[in-house]
Amino acid sequence: MQALRLIFEFFKVSTQAEMAHRANFFIRFLNAILNLATGVLSLTVIFNQVESIKGWDMPSAMALLGVYLLLAALRGLFIGPSLESVAGMDGEIWQGTFDFTLLRPVDKQFLVSFRHWRVLMLFDLCLALGVLGYAIHLMQAELTLLAVMGFIITLIAGAALLYAALLAFSALVFWNSGFLFTWIINDLFQLARYPVELYPGWLRLVLTWIIPVGLMTTIPAQALSGKLSWQWMILTLLFTIGALIGASWLFRQGLKKYTSASS
Amino acid sequence: MNHQGGWELIKNTWQSWLQHRGFFFLLAFGWMLPLLVYLMIWSAAASEGSLAGLSQDALAGYYLVLVLVNQLTYATTNWTVGDNIRMGQISRWLIQPMSPLYHALSSEIAGKVVFMLFSIPVTAFLALIFRPQFNLSWQQSLLFIPSILLAWALRFFWGYWLALLAFWATRADSLLALQDTMIFLLGGHLAPIRLLPNWMQSLAKILPFRYMSAFPVEILTGFLDKNESLTGLLIQLGWTSTAYLLYRLVWTRGVRHYEAVGG
Amino acid sequence: MAEPIITVKNLTKVYRVPERAPGLSASIRGLFKPKFQDVEAVTDINFTIRPGEMVGLIGPNGAGKTTTLKMLSGLLYPTGGEAKVSGYTPWDRKAEYLQRISMVMGNRSAMNWDIPPLDSFRVLSKIYKVPQDQYQRTLDELITLLDMEALLKKPVRNLSLGERMKCELVAGLLYQPDVLFLDEPTLGLDVAMQRRLRIFLKQYNQQHQVSVILTSHYMADVSALCERVMLIHHGRLIFDGALQELADKLAPFKLVKLQFTTPPTNLEGFLTQFPSVEYLPSENGHHILRIARSDVPKVTAEILSNLPVADLSVEDPPIEAVIDQIYEEGKV
Repeated sequence: MQALRLIFEFFKVSTQAEMAHRANFFIRFLNAILNLATGVLSLTVIFNQVESIKGWDMPSAMALLGVYLLLAALRGLFIGPSLESVAGMDGEIWQGTFDFTLLRPVDKQFLVSFRHWRVLMLFDLCLALGVLGYAIHLMQAELTLLAVMGFIITLIAGAALLYAALLAFSALVFWNSGFLFTWIINDLFQLARYPVELYPGWLRLVLTWIIPVGLMTTIPAQALSGKLSWQWMILTLLFTIGALIGASWLFRQGLKKYTSASS
Repeated sequence: MNHQGGWELIKNTWQSWLQHRGFFFLLAFGWMLPLLVYLMIWSAAASEGSLAGLSQDALAGYYLVLVLVNQLTYATTNWTVGDNIRMGQISRWLIQPMSPLYHALSSEIAGKVVFMLFSIPVTAFLALIFRPQFNLSWQQSLLFIPSILLAWALRFFWGYWLALLAFWATRADSLLALQDTMIFLLGGHLAPIRLLPNWMQSLAKILPFRYMSAFPVEILTGFLDKNESLTGLLIQLGWTSTAYLLYRLVWTRGVRHYEAVGG
Repeated sequence: MAEPIITVKNLTKVYRVPERAPGLSASIRGLFKPKFQDVEAVTDINFTIRPGEMVGLIGPNGAGKTTTLKMLSGLLYPTGGEAKVSGYTPWDRKAEYLQRISMVMGNRSAMNWDIPPLDSFRVLSKIYKVPQDQYQRTLDELITLLDMEALLKKPVRNLSLGERMKCELVAGLLYQPDVLFLDEPTLGLDVAMQRRLRIFLKQYNQQHQVSVILTSHYMADVSALCERVMLIHHGRLIFDGALQELADKLAPFKLVKLQFTTPPTNLEGFLTQFPSVEYLPSENGHHILRIARSDVPKVTAEILSNLPVADLSVEDPPIEAVIDQIYEEGKV
């Protein structure tokens, strides 16, 4: 209850701060449209040359693009700005104001995860839902209720995995405050634009089990087109839970390191 | 013009950039990644033969050269121009007995050296994985040199005049994001120009964006015959002169505006 | 006497700092066999503080003041020793504990710079679960005391340094903490604003009986606010007691300022008969003598009866000078 109330407050204050810069509106709209246009155009160009690549055709790739844009929008909405304000350039660790965060009588992981919101990303979110809708329209015939449920579950898992990865990479800043770890995961996340099956075998393994950007988008898209086996679904869920626990552990270790060594 | 002072500035900038190489390597990694994604996607698409006459090996050659050319021509400096104008840094430069262009050029040249320290070894390593192949002739190599110099100058001055619009509009750097997107779509990043749909190919050949990145690569990897190369060079020269004139125009008008409103 | 609110026993903090020798081969060796150096930041510190007390923690840069404050606020694990603040061990950082303490730092901001302070305050009140009516009352009181009604609606970014410090204080006191750690609260402020904040802190302390530990480089802050000071040097607590006592102990001399009706012909020659007197360079017509405390009556009597004195005053040396002397000598 307290958590929800705080999230509401954070959201309100962030909105206020964002409205202060009117130019942001224009920029965000432009970015969102550019994102959408490049995504859709890329698929058009690729599937203009080939019917399908390794079993992925235009509708299923479009569904994956929708998932990608949706997760990117969620990241931009709050996970990214919140964690960046701690671990990023000019972040709290860098500036030394993280002390204040540590002194608040609230769970620290909650605080660093939900504090900053970029409200205009809701527009990106809508566009992403639009792409998903369009993809579903393209593959209409194959859609079942079971597939939709599997899709929703794995989509949530994908979002949770993305959160865990960002949290874990942000936590590394406690060991080396000068290095922008969050940039690495942001860069690698671009690989999630396309199904992992399209990458060479060794990279596929890395993107599935080590830096699971592949699991985040490929699995939900497969679920939607009914290509996902229940074994994979369970494996993904277990992996997600493990990743969440692991990331949270790493974050707490980081806090310990910070409070034993900072000067 | 004070060339001696300019050279000293270049040396200083280079030294300070070397000290932050971790940061720049990360930047370079971020630029490299999307290109590698599309290399792998097109590789997968071409796995059963070739696409428009391009085999997997030829695609690998194209993209790996593009990685290097893209980093050599990417004008990082332009992103800081807007900040320098807003924060008043430009006032300090205006009273120095040296053209402020040197400040941009110094970080440009210094940056290239640092980026190459990262990119050349990484590309060499990637060449072991992707096995690129292309025939290198003397003619191609000779034409490559002016084309890459012009590509850099075009991309730099084009971005510079856009960035200088910050004299009038605070968030002019979003135009740079637009430029990046156009280069991605029409500059041979999403796909080699000849794999694009016809309407995009025609656009690519007319607009300046191909001549900022893909054009030198096409020359070096033998995508173009002699006539196509020479015509391309002429168009490239035309766009570069236009960009330079636009820069002169915007700069003189901008400074006058800046002095009029008192910075 | 009331139970102490802060008890510190044998508190020690040792940082392990990796040693880096210059040169490439040395740094490669360091990769495999890192060498560490132990740096004692705080060594074996003991003290207690009563509720409502205001204590100044002074010492030169790097003496261990901030390390001590950070351990007491729970931001830093100590290497050894214990501390109890309000009945809690600070570094457990229990929510109930954090609710009771506050840290205000002169060089770091807890405010969101993009929005007006009033909004930051509201978020903080939600974080600290302050009931609505109590929040309103506290806020009104603080705003009146600090005279900052006009600042509430401007984004923090547009406030001056002093105005921002006022906001930091409100942010730190909104939830009525029992203990307040003030780290250089007047850093960089002009003299008028320093005085304004001192008056506020004194008033607030009297009305709310909050216990305060204050570090400051400005002795004026400490002497205006704190009857008791603790002096840390090289990580050790070398003095704990009244400020006046410290000054007496440290400065066993007084300054005598003299003005003459006619310039004396041989002042320095006259003074050689008193070995404990030191003649300091004169300042715009004033002659200044440094005289051992015990010799002051005798020497002034001699001067008055033998020289054409127009004005004579006896003063304590400025506290800054005294403190400077300890910082340099490192002992009391």
